Amino acid sequence: MPKTETCTETVDFEKALAELEGVVKQLEAGNLPLEKSLALFERGVRLARACKEKLAEAELKVSQLVKDKQGLFAEEPFKEDKE
Amino acid sequence: MEAAAARKVLTVSQVNTLVAGMLGEYFSDVWIEGEISNFRAYASGHLYFVLKDEGSQLQAVCFRHAAQRLKFELEDGLAVVAHGRLEVYQPTGKYQVILDTIEPRGLGALQKAFEQLKRKLDKEGLFAAERKRPLPVLPRTVGIVTSPSGAAIHDMLRTLRLHKARVNVVLYPAQVQGEGAAKQVAEGVVALSARPDVDVIIVGRGGGSIEDLWPFNEEVVARAISLSRVPVISGVGHETDFTIADFVADVRAATPTAAAQLVAKPWEDSEVRLRDLAGQLLEAAEQVLFQKQQAIEELVRHRVFDLMAARLAELHHRVERLASSAESAARSALKGATASLTALDSRLSRQNPATRILRWRMALQTLADRLDKPTLAFLSRQNVRLGQAGARLDALSPLASLGRGYSICLKPDGSIVSRTGQVEAGDGVRLRVSDGSIDCRVERAGRTDVGGH
Repeated sequence: MPKTETCTETVDFEKALAELEGVVKQLEAGNLPLEKSLALFERGVRLARACKEKLAEAELKVSQLVKDKQGLFAEEPFKEDKE
Repeated sequence: MEAAAARKVLTVSQVNTLVAGMLGEYFSDVWIEGEISNFRAYASGHLYFVLKDEGSQLQAVCFRHAAQRLKFELEDGLAVVAHGRLEVYQPTGKYQVILDTIEPRGLGALQKAFEQLKRKLDKEGLFAAERKRPLPVLPRTVGIVTSPSGAAIHDMLRTLRLHKARVNVVLYPAQVQGEGAAKQVAEGVVALSARPDVDVIIVGRGGGSIEDLWPFNEEVVARAISLSRVPVISGVGHETDFTIADFVADVRAATPTAAAQLVAKPWEDSEVRLRDLAGQLLEAAEQVLFQKQQAIEELVRHRVFDLMAARLAELHHRVERLASSAESAARSALKGATASLTALDSRLSRQNPATRILRWRMALQTLADRLDKPTLAFLSRQNVRLGQAGARLDALSPLASLGRGYSICLKPDGSIVSRTGQVEAGDGVRLRVSDGSIDCRVERAGRTDVGGH
C-alpha cells in the first residue's frame, strides 16, 4: 500500500461528501430541466456509493510495536486482556 | 621548658581529623533550612553552592548521584530544606555540608519542578497557539502511547469501536509511571511519529496521584511531543489534571476516552452525514419528478387541449360519416381523411406535454436500470424515507403509459430524442415499448409544421 494514500483517501472522501452535498442542494433548488436533474441524481448516487465504499473499507485493527533483538520495531497483533 | 612534655601538641592534620570525626558523629543526619546562593553546576554533575540565612553562611555540595534525583532545578535565591551530613575538607580545614536531599520550602518538590519546566518551555514558545496543528479529519492510522495493561487502552479501544472509527491502531506499549517511564513514553512518540502511516498520536494514561502522572511532566516527553511529525493528543488522568504534556500537545483531551473520541467522532459524523445526504438525494429527485408531473397536469387541463380534443373528435365523426357513404367515393375519401387524422394526431401528441413527462419517466427508468442492485439496496437501507421515495418512484413508472401504446425514442447513449435535430438519417435509435425495445435506423428526420392551430 502506498504510504501517502491514507491522506489522499480521506481528502477524497471529504471532497466526495461535499460534492454530494452540492448535488443535493442543486436538486432541492429545483427549476432545472428534467434531464439535467436526472444527470445530477445519477452523479449523486455514484458519489454516495463511492463514499459508502470508503466507509466500508476498514474495521478497527489493533497492533503493537515490539522491539526485536536488534532494537528494531516489529508490528504484531495486540491482544486485549479481557477483564 | 619542662612543660613541653606535658603539652599535647597536635599537627594541623590531626586537629582537622579530630574535628572531622566529631562533626561526622554529631552531624551525620541533619536537616538545614536556608537560601541557595552562589550556585554552580559542574560538568562532572556535582552541584556547589552556599546555604545562607540573614546571619550566616554554610558551604554545601550535592554530588552527582544525589543531584540526578532532584526533580527540580536549583537556583540562587531558592529557599530550601536540605538533608545531609557535615564534613571537613581536610586540605583547607573548612567544613561543608554534603546534601543528599533537597526540597523547595513551601511548595512540594514536584510542584516546583512543574512550574519551572512550564516556565522554561513557555519561554521557548512550545505552548504557543500558532504551534497547534489541526487534527486530521478522518485519520486512518492512530498511534497510541500508553500501558498495554492499563485501563486507558481499554477505554480508548472501546471508544473507537463505539463510534465505528475505521482506523488502524498502532500501540506503543510503554510504562506510564515510575522510574524510566518518561523515557519510554518519549521513545514511543518518536517511534510512532517516524512511521509514515501514522496520522495522529495519542499519549495518555488513566488517573492517579501527581507522582503517578509525573512522567507526563518531564521534559523528555514534552520535547518528543513538540518534535512529532503528526499532531499529538494528550489524554492524561482526569478532567482536573493538567500536565506539561497537555500544554505542549496539539490538542489536550480531558481523559484518554475523550482523546479517542476526538479521533472517532468524525468517522461517525461522516457516516451519519452520508446517510442523510443519500436520503435527501432520493427525496429531491422524487420531488423534481413530482413537480414536473404537476406542471404537466396543469397544462393538460388548459383549454386549448379541450379544443384540440374536440377537433379530433369532429374528424373522427367525419371519417365515420365518409366511411358509411358510397363505397367507391368512400374509399378515396376515407384515405384522405385518415391521412389528415393521422397527421393531426401526431401533431397533437408532439405538442402534448404529457408525452414529455413520458420521456422523463422513461429516462428515470433507464437510469434505475443502469444502477446496480447492491447500490439501490444500500441506498434503500439507509433511511426509511428512501423506501418511501422508492415507492413513489415506482408509482411514476412510465411502463404503464407505454402499455397504452406510447413509445420512447432513445439514442445509443441513452439520451432521449425529443427533437428532429437530435438524429440524422442512418442513426441507430431504440424505441422503448411496453414489453421491450425495438432497434431502428432513421430514414429521414424533418420538422413538422406545427403552426396550423
